[in-house]
Amino acid sequence: MARKKFHVAFYLLGGIVAFLWLVPLIWMVLTAFTKASFVMQVFPHTGWTFGNIAYVWGQVPFGRYYLNTITIVVCTYAIQFVTITMAAYALATLHFKGEKLVFLIIFVQIIIPNDILIIPNFMTISDLGLTDTKLAIMLPFLGSAMGTFLLRQHFKTIPRALTDAAIIDGCNTAQVIRHVFVPNAKTAYISFALVSVSYHWNNFLWPLVVTNSVENRTLTVGLALFAKSKEAVLQWTNVCAATFIISAPLVVLFLVFQRQFIESFVSSGIK
Amino acid sequence: MRKKLLASMFLLCLAVSSVFANGSSEATSAKNKPMELTFFFPVNVGGAVTKYVDKICNDWNAEHPEATVKPVYTGNYDDTVVKIQSSIQGKNPPDLFISLATQRFSMYVQDAVVPLDDFIAADGAEGKAYIDDFLSGFMEDSYVDGHIISIPFQRSTEIMFYNKDAFREVGLDPEQPPKSWAELADYAQKLTKVGADGNVERYGVGIALNSGSAQWQFTGFCLQNSKNGENLMSDDGKSIYFDTPENVEALQFWCDLQNKYKCMQPGIVQWTDLPGQFLSGKVAMIYHTTGNLGNISKNASFDFGTCFLPGNKRMAAPTGGGNFYISKGISKERQQKAWEFIKFATTAERTAQWSIDTGYVVTRKSALELPQMKAYYENLPQAKVAYEQIPISKPELTSYDSTKMWRILNDAIQAAITGEKTPAQALKDAQKEADDTLKKFK
Repeated sequence: MARKKFHVAFYLLGGIVAFLWLVPLIWMVLTAFTKASFVMQVFPHTGWTFGNIAYVWGQVPFGRYYLNTITIVVCTYAIQFVTITMAAYALATLHFKGEKLVFLIIFVQIIIPNDILIIPNFMTISDLGLTDTKLAIMLPFLGSAMGTFLLRQHFKTIPRALTDAAIIDGCNTAQVIRHVFVPNAKTAYISFALVSVSYHWNNFLWPLVVTNSVENRTLTVGLALFAKSKEAVLQWTNVCAATFIISAPLVVLFLVFQRQFIESFVSSGIK
Repeated sequence: MRKKLLASMFLLCLAVSSVFANGSSEATSAKNKPMELTFFFPVNVGGAVTKYVDKICNDWNAEHPEATVKPVYTGNYDDTVVKIQSSIQGKNPPDLFISLATQRFSMYVQDAVVPLDDFIAADGAEGKAYIDDFLSGFMEDSYVDGHIISIPFQRSTEIMFYNKDAFREVGLDPEQPPKSWAELADYAQKLTKVGADGNVERYGVGIALNSGSAQWQFTGFCLQNSKNGENLMSDDGKSIYFDTPENVEALQFWCDLQNKYKCMQPGIVQWTDLPGQFLSGKVAMIYHTTGNLGNISKNASFDFGTCFLPGNKRMAAPTGGGNFYISKGISKERQQKAWEFIKFATTAERTAQWSIDTGYVVTRKSALELPQMKAYYENLPQAKVAYEQIPISKPELTSYDSTKMWRILNDAIQAAITGEKTPAQALKDAQKEADDTLKKFK
């Protein structure tokens, strides 16, 4: 009986916390679809309208920005997939001179905030003659210290016996990675995908600095036009409409894949 | 799995090759191409402004196919500074850009911008007339070491908005807004309304004191209270005067409005929240930018007025906003074209149109004579207050290392408002930090 009470209390508390987390999202969606009022309310009670979305969509080439953003997050992750797999395999299984030092150098990068590197990165990109391209946005992120670290920890847990069995069956190194390591680290790949995709989807300052043309810019630049223009007054309905436009696909993706995401996070031990 | 891997590799190749294909085609045709000037501009007043900038550039491009201008939106003022600085360090500077007028010392000392004196001199009498036509309140913060560094463009000032209905309700004359600090405190107390439950239903006055706004507000109060109209800094940007007795008085006055007279909401009110509070009747008088006039005149459900900021020893107000700059690290021909573009974007007609479209204040005297400007003021007489106030306005706080100075002053103000330090102590500490920072520029 006491146990049942505890369960009820537990779920009640969980429900309240979940609702609190949901409030900003609910507010954003409701405000995006209601007529402008100058007072902010959690549950707006002005009339419903698609006007905000239509207005915001007309002000900024969101279609183009969508295409660019999707191209960038997909390509970045595809290349990261290859680079971190190879790096993690080397760090997890091979033993070589300076192994610890290499690991340390990679690991240290996790603690360097990306914004500090904007100017040096820009200088490199500029020397390469790549400014104002999508490649320039991706280039500094094609290797990932965090992804490598995450994957290495995961690879370490894969039993040696599996590798040995594969080798006995005649696999070379590439085949061992391909058939043993990659399938067994699926959850790590999924959790890193979430981190990588959401980071690049949300990144603002670096794409803004390194690109000049609409053809190469990302969704966040479109959002900034509304969210960062605060000299006079914030038009919350427009800010929310723009936020809705750029965040809706990620939220939908998350809802569709939430079970896989949660499983992968629980099993990979990151939060 | 294999298919997925193949697919992702294919995508990768596609992406890389298309990017490089783009790059190489640009490189080969660059020689035959006409000049293309890159123009960085920040937007600080809401969406549609990019369209007005695009229009100015398109008009220019139609007339000048030999040197087209490409407008590049660069976020807000802070983002724009990051972008300009990384572009300059990457040896890939924009040809011209808009940045805060207060950035001029930093831009100059970094050798990022070219003085405009030679261009103005080359235009002869016309050049002199062009410069003289700008309102001196705006032109004043274009100078560094006697050189003209920038040309005023998206400029604003601060005025007082007040609720005439609330004035009537408490028996004040709605045509006689406060003219002095004493009247301000007096009226604001009368306008403050406390409900039956002891909660304040309406505050008398609202001033935004969040970081990034407080230094602008304080410039106004400093000017109104200083002995001979001195600003917070010297004209050469190398000295800062935070801890004068007059400034301590000004900061004390803010604290008094909150704590002694209880007619201003305690704590820090955000710049962006103030217009909403005013429109919903929660505050009767606010200090805000003229850029908000459109919003307030559209949404106010009551009779509202605008007026000069109340003075103390004298009437005064701060100006703010962004100016045109030309980069140093580009060829003479490009600079010449950039200069012509700036003149094109600031003709009397375009200045007037820009002001009407955006709510920024007209920067040129001749623009005021145009029929469209007169019609605008006729429709919205409250807008004219801003223009009339410019002759008594002075530039907001700036100096070498201006970003740091802003932070120092904002921190000091917030320390005093939250009661962490006395106004005198807060400004004294700020002065010391400012002096230490500016030592290297003397």
